Amino acid sequence: MTEANSGSDVLRPITIAGALDALGGGRQIMAGATWLMRAPVRGEAPPKAAVLIGSIPELQQISIGQDQVTLGAGVTHTKLAEALAGVPALKGLVTAASRAANPPIRAVATLGGNLCTAAFAAGDLSPQLLALDARVTYATKDGTQDMDMSQFLAARGNLSGGLLTRVRIPLGNFRSAHARLPLRKAGDYPVAIVSARMDQNESLMRRVRIAVGSVEATPRRWSGLEAALEGQPYDLKAIADSAGSLTNEFTGRDGVEADGWYRTKVLPALVRQVFEDLSMQFAERP
Amino acid sequence: MSRTADPAAAVMDLPRRDAPDKLAGRTRYTVDMAGPGTLHAAIRRADIPRGRIIRVESGVARQMPGVRAIVTAQDAPGTHGIGISDHPLFAGKEIRYNGEPIAAVAADTLEQARAAAAAIIVEVEALPPVLTMAEALSPSAPLVHEGWKDYGVLFEGGARKGNIAWEAKVVRGDTDAAFARPDVTIVEGCYEVGRQSHMPFEPRAAIATFEDGRLHLVTSTQVPWTVRAVTSSLLGIPSSQVRITVPPVGAGFGLKFDCTIEPVAALLAWKTGRRVSLANSRQEEMATCLCRENAQIRIRSAVTTEGEIVGREATVLMDCGAYGGEQIFLTTMTAHTLGSNYRLGSVRLSTRAIYTNTPPNGAFRACNGVYNTFALERHTDEICAAIGMDPVEFRRRAVFRDGSIGSTGQVFEGEVLVPMIERMEALKQKSGSREAEAGGRLYGRATTVGSWFVFVGPSAATVNLNADGSATLVTSGVEIGSGTMVQALPQIVAGQLGIRPQDVVVKAADTDAAGYDVGVGGGRTTVSLGAASVKACEDVLSKLLPVAAEMLQTSQDNLVLGKGRIEIAGRKGSGATIASVAQRAQALHGPVTGSGSFTGQGVPSMAGCAMGHFINAIDIPIFAVHDCEVAVDPDTGHVEILSYKVVQDVGRALNPRAIHGQIQGGVVQGLGYALHEDVTIDAKGRIAQDSFETYRIPLAQDVVPVEFELFEGAPSIGPLGVKGAGEVPILNVGAAVACAVANATGKPVSRLPLTPPRVLGLLVSDEPPLDHPHIGKDWSSNVIALPQSVRAG
Amino acid sequence: MTMRLFINGEERSAAVHPLTPLVDVIRDELLLTGTKSVCREGFCGACTVHIDGVPTMSCLLPVIAAEGKAVTTIEGVGGPGNMNAVQHALEEHDVVQCGMCFPGMVMSMTAYMERRPAAPRADIKAAMSGNICRCTGYERIIDALLSIAAKEDTTA
Ligand SMILES: Cc1cc2nc3c(=O)[nH]c(=O)nc-3n(C[C@H](O)[C@H](O)[C@H](O)COP(=O)(O)OP(=O)(O)OC[C@H]3O[C@@H](n4cnc5c(N)ncnc54)[C@H](O)[C@@H]3O)c2cc1C
Ligand code: FES
Ligand code: FES
Repeated sequence: MTEANSGSDVLRPITIAGALDALGGGRQIMAGATWLMRAPVRGEAPPKAAVLIGSIPELQQISIGQDQVTLGAGVTHTKLAEALAGVPALKGLVTAASRAANPPIRAVATLGGNLCTAAFAAGDLSPQLLALDARVTYATKDGTQDMDMSQFLAARGNLSGGLLTRVRIPLGNFRSAHARLPLRKAGDYPVAIVSARMDQNESLMRRVRIAVGSVEATPRRWSGLEAALEGQPYDLKAIADSAGSLTNEFTGRDGVEADGWYRTKVLPALVRQVFEDLSMQFAERP
Repeated sequence: MSRTADPAAAVMDLPRRDAPDKLAGRTRYTVDMAGPGTLHAAIRRADIPRGRIIRVESGVARQMPGVRAIVTAQDAPGTHGIGISDHPLFAGKEIRYNGEPIAAVAADTLEQARAAAAAIIVEVEALPPVLTMAEALSPSAPLVHEGWKDYGVLFEGGARKGNIAWEAKVVRGDTDAAFARPDVTIVEGCYEVGRQSHMPFEPRAAIATFEDGRLHLVTSTQVPWTVRAVTSSLLGIPSSQVRITVPPVGAGFGLKFDCTIEPVAALLAWKTGRRVSLANSRQEEMATCLCRENAQIRIRSAVTTEGEIVGREATVLMDCGAYGGEQIFLTTMTAHTLGSNYRLGSVRLSTRAIYTNTPPNGAFRACNGVYNTFALERHTDEICAAIGMDPVEFRRRAVFRDGSIGSTGQVFEGEVLVPMIERMEALKQKSGSREAEAGGRLYGRATTVGSWFVFVGPSAATVNLNADGSATLVTSGVEIGSGTMVQALPQIVAGQLGIRPQDVVVKAADTDAAGYDVGVGGGRTTVSLGAASVKACEDVLSKLLPVAAEMLQTSQDNLVLGKGRIEIAGRKGSGATIASVAQRAQALHGPVTGSGSFTGQGVPSMAGCAMGHFINAIDIPIFAVHDCEVAVDPDTGHVEILSYKVVQDVGRALNPRAIHGQIQGGVVQGLGYALHEDVTIDAKGRIAQDSFETYRIPLAQDVVPVEFELFEGAPSIGPLGVKGAGEVPILNVGAAVACAVANATGKPVSRLPLTPPRVLGLLVSDEPPLDHPHIGKDWSSNVIALPQSVRAG
Repeated sequence: MTMRLFINGEERSAAVHPLTPLVDVIRDELLLTGTKSVCREGFCGACTVHIDGVPTMSCLLPVIAAEGKAVTTIEGVGGPGNMNAVQHALEEHDVVQCGMCFPGMVMSMTAYMERRPAAPRADIKAAMSGNICRCTGYERIIDALLSIAAKEDTTA
């Protein structure tokens, strides 16, 4: 195992294999540290042992291919937004990464950290990646596992001893959008999130994916609304009405910042916002 | 001597002398001063809202690494308070709120102190808590203070009973007759506000040492002399044995009227013989913040079709939390915040401070005024709707005029509010409407009035005119950020002495050097310290001018001061520098020093109107008119402020730029109160919002530039005609926003803050109007007992 | 463990746990108290320092992550007599009140204004979403920052 700096409690491996070896002994993965270092504010003990993964080049990689984008788990929100700014299909992901938190946090908080924090219900990236049909790669000493986002989100609370290494997003003839609702203009966690993607199609809505975040403890797809919209003509009012009649698919979580009813009540407005954005993106297309 | 300098000489946009260091991180606040070798303290706090303490065992904790001392209630058995001495430093037998200190530890490091504090064994028997004012007032409620009857009463006159810690009443005229009149419309409303947390960036913090047998506290406080008195009494040492010095304070907003940190640090320093630093963590600071209190209000008015208010009755419940503290004093304010703005034919007011098993509340910028103004202005708009009158027109007709009588019978002088309303109308006209920016959202607008005042109180100042022509101003004033100590005071002294404000050295508060002062807050600093400084300067001049007259071979009456010189009137370039006169005076009579003191003269009120009030009439009223435009998102309940305007009564604007800073900052704090800042008490009696994540104060994107006009010339007993300008900007923000949101939505806005969930709730549901069943509709059911004379009348 | 830092152009070291928040090392070990520790959760920005030129919240950065990088604190950007453009503008516009937020505000905005000297009001406000001020109400800070570009326009 190679270490950039060693101390028995805190290790800084430079390869994925090294990171996997380093796990154990109470050490947990530490990426941007913006979640872990807030432990005292949550009434938990501050971290004393960690495997820092910031020096692993492989986790920083971003590759934009013809039909797929691959993002290393160590990519920060800022880097992600910069790198994908030129990929029209992923505008929703760029929005998610560039509106979450605040600028200095975005500069250090990582994709992997955002996805792996099971206790964090309001993450922006996971609903967007759900809508984008992204797949994640999770590495353990026993090998790597490839999962779709739903599988990953269901499993993430129980995963341990491994490392999220990358996220792959299929590209295609579609557009994506992301609507988030903080209580102030910005700077706080969104109380509800709607992410969506839809194929470019002359007349009808095709391959509609809608995911909802922050409303329940874990983000998930809004399958009822997806089914209701699939193959329908684009009509903003009808879309919002469908959303309005299907919000009972979700049970909003009560939190200090907002009660559950509010989180579901605002969903139609967020749906309207993402579909407005999608239609504008389609209109812009050359 | 009667000589007065031209007040205009003190008016300027003097830059702040503390800005360069603050911008460079060189300013050292109390939290920056611990340094190496200092012990760190941590507090063990209760984690239940009410209970009996069976055992506190600190033996094991005392043996832990680095621990130097542990103190508990046994080390400071006394109590303190305002009005009522009900507050111990540590919970001894009883726990009255979640977060109450039980013990404190001093150790070599903060980590060690915290570990030991956590290791203290506290055995308790939990008791059912009283968490709301409604519960506290129910006949079967447990008493938060079982021994309330035995407490020391520090100020006579307030009615008290069980969970009612204090009651203040105003009775003027016959409201029964007014409400019985056939020609009036009766309008009644209930209102409610939550708490507001100050969130000063520097938490409450203190560093204690014993030096030559005396206690020295370096502390982040607004009230050095209160800290001196409370600490000495809790420690059982003479107050002359306590010295308080105050570095720049990282904001206060009233929170730092508190005195619960300093005695703890002092006890630990005394026990260890070492320098001890105690600072609240952010979570502790927020969990035990002496918030602006939550309040519930019922107002009823009898109004003629012409807009004359012939009768008004109101009851205000203020939650004081587990201990009376400031709320006992603040019950006084209702007489002025509900009673000194509209002309009332007859009025009855009852204000009750209620004990609950929740963290104690305290003072916050424009205490009591902020929510009473909200309630009053919403009520006023409801009156306008009921009698069909335009809200601005109603206010024009109904507000105070020259000679109007306040609720306690005080006579108000000058035409102030009506011309201020006209100024606001002109400003609105000039700036136009932002309605177009609302887009598809609901647009609303409202103009509100409010009344506040300066609580004057005693202050002392010493001015030394040095032989180099500079002056040193020594007071117990504290720079809490508002700029008074670095702008207004040196400007005043410079104007009086004819020197440059840069040449006025301002000494930071040190109770060993300066005379008594009530403290910095309530907008009183410029007024009281300013007035004391003016008197000290007059004293200086009475020593300087005879020497100058002799040097210049002229009479004192011919002398004018300015630009560092004393000259003969009308003869430019004549005369001598102030430095040379000061040198001469020093050679002849010794160094030139002057001292001055000031206190409010007291303003007459009508005998018998006010009961349980700490002050019956106000020395300096201040009025404000605010206007606000909002856009309300009907789908999410988000309120966006489109424009905000202020016309503020400032007496004389000494430093208009600094006042602008206070207005912008105060309005934004008010926007936080109106829209974002929500404090709730959870089932365990804890403040649920104990972090920046959960307590949302406005960020840059949530605010707008405030358009403002300064209204000068209203009567003021302040020096050079000034009034406090820093406190009042927050006064009617909650009111203006709430009235604008009600105007936009057509819904009865009766609660603050107007968070998006609350606004959406209003929009989507048909809730019945807010009612407080525990505040009787019959006003006299909301008072403990009225004196016989009043009942008969 | 001994942590080595390159801070304000100097090599410094401190014997601390490697996961100690950088802000605590800066304030308590190196006694550079200009950087403020206010919320300790990434919301207020009072603890902002530059790590290799990038504004970073030092309350959430374990000190080990700053090793081998250039750390600049408020003490390293200029002071009375040699203030930078942002500090100058803030002083000239009389916007400082209690001052506790300003070290962080100066660090964030110095980096931002260098990158986007002509940024419009709305963009500056968005860039400030990680810097809270409880006293000033922000707008006069923005006025001051906008004046920097305006001044350069007239002197250019
Ligand atoms: C002020 C503030 C505001 C915020 N606002 C938002 C917001 O609006 N929207 C939003 O989405 N988020 C927001 N966040 C949350 C922030 O995005 C998360 O804190 C962040 O994404 C976590 O990333 P990190 O790299 O810092 O994770 P770390 O703190 O390093 O780690 C978080 C968790 O993930 C694990 N982990 C990290 N990387 C991996 C990996 N590759 N494989 C396996 N496990 C891993 C860690 O062990 C740990 O349990 C905010 C945070 C702050 C401080
Ligand atoms: S102290 Fe670091 S962001 Fe507030
Ligand atoms: S000036 Fe006090 S927090 Fe900004």
